[in-house]
Amino acid sequence: MIHVQGVALAYGGCRILADVSLTVGDGELLAVVGPNGIGKSTLLRAIAGARAVAAGEITVDGQPIGSLGARARGRLIALIEADGPLPDHMTVNDVVAGGRLPYRPWWRWSSTPDDRRAVDAAIGLTEIAALRERPFAELSSGERQRVWIALAVAQDTRVLLLDEPTSHLDIRHTFDMLTLIRQLTAGGKSAVVVLHDLNVAAAFADRIALLGERTLLACDTPARVFEEQLLGRVYGIPIAVRREPDGSVLAFAVAPGRSR
Amino acid sequence: MELRRYRAPFVALGAAALVCAIVLVLGAAVGAVPFGFSIVLGQLVHPDVSTQAGRILWDIRIPRIAIAALVGAALGMAGTLLQTMLRNPLVDPYLTGTSAGAACAIAIGIAAGADASLLPLLAFIAALATAALVAALARTGAGLSHERLILAGVSLSALFAGVVTLVILLSPRAGTALSILAWLGGSLAGRGWRDARTAGIYAGCGAALALALAPTLNGLRFGEARARALGVDVDRAGWGILAAASLLTAAAVSVSGVVGFVGLIVPHITRRIVGADARFTQLASTFVGAMLVVVADAVARSIAPPLDLPVGVLISMFGVPIFIFLAFRRRST
Repeated sequence: MIHVQGVALAYGGCRILADVSLTVGDGELLAVVGPNGIGKSTLLRAIAGARAVAAGEITVDGQPIGSLGARARGRLIALIEADGPLPDHMTVNDVVAGGRLPYRPWWRWSSTPDDRRAVDAAIGLTEIAALRERPFAELSSGERQRVWIALAVAQDTRVLLLDEPTSHLDIRHTFDMLTLIRQLTAGGKSAVVVLHDLNVAAAFADRIALLGERTLLACDTPARVFEEQLLGRVYGIPIAVRREPDGSVLAFAVAPGRSR
Repeated sequence: MELRRYRAPFVALGAAALVCAIVLVLGAAVGAVPFGFSIVLGQLVHPDVSTQAGRILWDIRIPRIAIAALVGAALGMAGTLLQTMLRNPLVDPYLTGTSAGAACAIAIGIAAGADASLLPLLAFIAALATAALVAALARTGAGLSHERLILAGVSLSALFAGVVTLVILLSPRAGTALSILAWLGGSLAGRGWRDARTAGIYAGCGAALALALAPTLNGLRFGEARARALGVDVDRAGWGILAAASLLTAAAVSVSGVVGFVGLIVPHITRRIVGADARFTQLASTFVGAMLVVVADAVARSIAPPLDLPVGVLISMFGVPIFIFLAFRRRST
């Protein structure tokens, strides 16, 4: 369970988000959406304890995130960011085994049977056994994303924080990735996923947190968050929302010169 | 499963240790007075200083080889530590300013007429003090900024190099300038058991810390942000790595002067032999570094006896072209 209460975040001395309050329950998938540069990734990093908050408090399973040590945080929260340097000279197995680092005391040089079981299970669940001995740097973007998820699974945390896990993925791999994340939340994990595609967020998330105007504008089910006026105001373009008979919603930008 | 996965690096590590042991024995056989392999082995198994061979080996050659091995191992390990932490294959252990600080202190010490026996201690203290100053300049909040570390190291090195040049230019006696230059070239001439013991204790502390940090170094291979998310205390690890690398480099510099290039190339050779896993590279870099300096020292002693060439100069002159050939051959083929 994640509690974010009255949080403000600053970047380079400039306040980018203020008064953000939300809760993510066990087994829930929350999608965070909003325009570029609004602070979605920064919020994710703050929940992970990797970034200090300017105001407010964040707790995970009742523990203030700032009070936890690095290893305790690593056992509680898995943060996967798509960007950043590639791990050098590592095989896929090495990368997935990195998920066990929070469980390894500094003096232990070798992995335990528990570590090996967790890595095997993560590789099996994410269906990357065929890639196991391949150099990580030689994988495609989609394959790398799966390996990162496998690392998070091996990390065996209550909370998953994923920053744009579907960037660079085609529609099939996006579907597979989010199905996998849903599978993990079905097992009781809480997941917060930053997404750009509103319809993917609506299709897979239990709730959507919409960031805009330097705050959290809405945090509710997709059907309630997807209001044409609200989305249009946040993104600064005309956005149409279509509601299907089964209760699902679709949002799409209205191209200039086209009717809704 | 685990052993099978790491069989290749284990075998490579074992082979490196074996070749290193053979090189150490061969190093003892080579010199102005050459000895047969059997004589060296016989002395190692049953030391006998009543013979001339025993006296030469135990009083002169073996301590010198021990120091050469120690210098190579320490610089190799320090280079591997810093290259892994900074994720930069161009980093040299002297980056932290240790060599420049020591060189500056030695130059001033020689010019001021300090006793030769005091110079290693002076170099060690100056090397550590400079590393501490660089670390203080690189500090931001609780953490260690890699950019500031490199910038502070390069800046202070340039400053101290200027001071050394000034001391050489202003020194009234030609002998002073030559002594300083010989030290800058990296030399093992005249070193004995006393030097080996002192440097060994400092390098041993640095090596123990470095080996303890090997699993943490593996975490840092994911990049700083990901390592933090994986529970690595990146700030504490940074201080530990810097302390270990500085201790190792200061210990080496105190007995050998500035032996360049070893700390830069050993990590490259090591990665080719055992891969990039820090648990293996830390150990393998000690063997590879020791081999490199022992071989260079053997050549320095025997190429034109009784002339004893600075080992650092020799490594640069012969090691660099060989390394360039090996490094670029793969690309051209």
